[in-house]
Amino acid sequence: MHKLIEKAAGERRNLLEHECLALLMEYGIAAPRHALVKSAGEALQAAGEIDYPVALKIVSPDILHKSDAGGVKVNLKTGDELRRGFDEILENVGRNAPAAKIEGLLVMQNIKQGIECIIGMTRDAQLGTALMFGLGGIFVEVMEDVSLCLLPVSKDEAADMVRSIKGYKLLAGYRGGEPCDMDAIADAILKIGALAENNPEIAEIDVNPLFAYPRGVMPVDARILLRGSQVPPTNGDLEHT
Amino acid sequence: MHSLNDILQAKSIAVVGASGNPEKMGHTLLNNIIKGDFGGGIYPINPKEESILGKECYKSLGDVPGSVDLAVVCVPGKLVRDVVDEAGKKAVKGLIIISGGFKEIGNDGLENEIVAIAKSYGMRIIGPNCQGVNYTGNKMCATWPFVKTKGSIGVVSQSGTIGAEMELLAEKDGIGVSCFAALGNKSDISEVDFVNFFADDPHTKVIALNIEGIREGSGFIEALRAAAQKKPVVILKPGRTEKGRMAVASHTKSIAGNDRLFGAFCRKYGIIRALDLTEFYDFCKMASFVARPGGNRMLVVTSSGGAGILATDTAEENNIDMILLSDGLKSALGKVLPPQCVLSNPLDLTGDARAERFANAFEALCKDQSFDILLPIFGDPIPGAYEVTETLRKKTKAAVVVSYLGGGADQEAEVALMNANRMPVYPTPERAVKSARAVLGLLR
Repeated sequence: MHKLIEKAAGERRNLLEHECLALLMEYGIAAPRHALVKSAGEALQAAGEIDYPVALKIVSPDILHKSDAGGVKVNLKTGDELRRGFDEILENVGRNAPAAKIEGLLVMQNIKQGIECIIGMTRDAQLGTALMFGLGGIFVEVMEDVSLCLLPVSKDEAADMVRSIKGYKLLAGYRGGEPCDMDAIADAILKIGALAENNPEIAEIDVNPLFAYPRGVMPVDARILLRGSQVPPTNGDLEHT
Repeated sequence: MHSLNDILQAKSIAVVGASGNPEKMGHTLLNNIIKGDFGGGIYPINPKEESILGKECYKSLGDVPGSVDLAVVCVPGKLVRDVVDEAGKKAVKGLIIISGGFKEIGNDGLENEIVAIAKSYGMRIIGPNCQGVNYTGNKMCATWPFVKTKGSIGVVSQSGTIGAEMELLAEKDGIGVSCFAALGNKSDISEVDFVNFFADDPHTKVIALNIEGIREGSGFIEALRAAAQKKPVVILKPGRTEKGRMAVASHTKSIAGNDRLFGAFCRKYGIIRALDLTEFYDFCKMASFVARPGGNRMLVVTSSGGAGILATDTAEENNIDMILLSDGLKSALGKVLPPQCVLSNPLDLTGDARAERFANAFEALCKDQSFDILLPIFGDPIPGAYEVTETLRKKTKAAVVVSYLGGGADQEAEVALMNANRMPVYPTPERAVKSARAVLGLLR
């Protein structure tokens, strides 16, 4: 069992964001530079190394939807903004999810906007493990415009998953825009497939968003849920899907 | 322990609860078994009758002089328990229990009891609360409606009505089925047994399944994957919508499951998925015939411009590539066709085209390899359509799929010839295109 998974399972919790990013990086998906910090001072030091602007996010096993809890600040350009952001996040979370256990905050390189994609993984006791690909935001939530493929996923099947969503035109260069890097998207799908295949303890993966660019892709947030673990139903549970 | 094979290959059948009253199920079942020319012993069981439909009647299974392989049971539910016990003592191999009054009305105890009794004798059960089985390979119509035409589609259906309609559609086309089974409560024999049987059954070329839910741990998924390696499998699994799923839950108390995931499963393992009853039949028919396109490039040859456009739209929507005619092909066609013909795809031979013009076009096309599917559309009465298409079929490498419409009595005669010669023909261009697309899924 992977040591990050073993640790989380031992604590009966899901993986924290920086652990998810670490796993993705281990499987060859480049992630934004980031650091877990416990104090504003540590945050300032980390931001200096990462380079401004940065984003700040709450890290808690009890908070699945960080934005809803007021736990995210993006595009912080200076030390002052960072310090203010740090305090505001802790204040928001203290108010919105008082029972949530706080592991720290994540200082993360601010990532330039790309085309928002989602790569997911879900398991079905009968049919097997499926990978999901779609475009972020309303495309997945409202239009249910996603493609699915059961593992094992071949290179051709991954490419086909990207091509077969209705919103493909957005990726292919909408209104004269440069087309996204389809190979990099398909490659990320394959890598997440490998992550799922090698780690049967993982119940669900949700890389959302994954920004797609004309060259390369970048995951900005990720959730990895483990079998049998669950977010405890305290005030900290802000899941309302 | 006996197997499904012992039921389907039965050499002798008793109908327990046979009746002289034509309005009773026990009459219909006996009558259908007799009418179907079942070759072995047929024994009506009814303590009150001397003979039914010309067959000597016995008071009980124990009174039958010879051996009984299969007992078809249609007595009232509360009598079934004793019949099962008696069948066990008679060394019957399998039971088709039509009678209801079991789990479907909450009577789980009684159902478990008959299953246990049957098991203790090594007997297998289809049902209870089912519509029975028609296995044309053994001329055994132990069900209704009466269908005799022998064919190569093996149908197993959660819904008796949907399965029966498949039989009737196949009979109407003269292509028949190898088997029809509606399994009711599935207390013992389930789809898994049938899928495994069909996979190795020489009479079955296509496996047609209508299911509503999948029981966890039943081995169904594994059986399906294994069967799809051997022959085409076509599945109709309703409950695609939220309300459809609710209807499934109340019909069979099963969970329809994640429909999109099921679709992904079918794609992965080359299982053909039909979305409605029309597709269910059409795709089975297509898959049971030999035409198997080598790719998705299609050429349409039509006498009807309008029907050609419908084919084009359906092709575009279904990822079928409507090819562009090469200059060489255009000039070859131009030499043999009158000037009003539109040398494009669809190739419009125009409304006054008769079989000869189709034949000329086919002759120019048959050596060309720029398409994998050739769809002739015969609109209007065109006698000789079958013959010219058969000539084409022998010469071309492309899969030939036909649509014939608007042709009245000539159409009926030609379509009958096509069906009889296993040439896939459909009454609308859309259905022809979708069926060709469906079997493309088998390529991987």
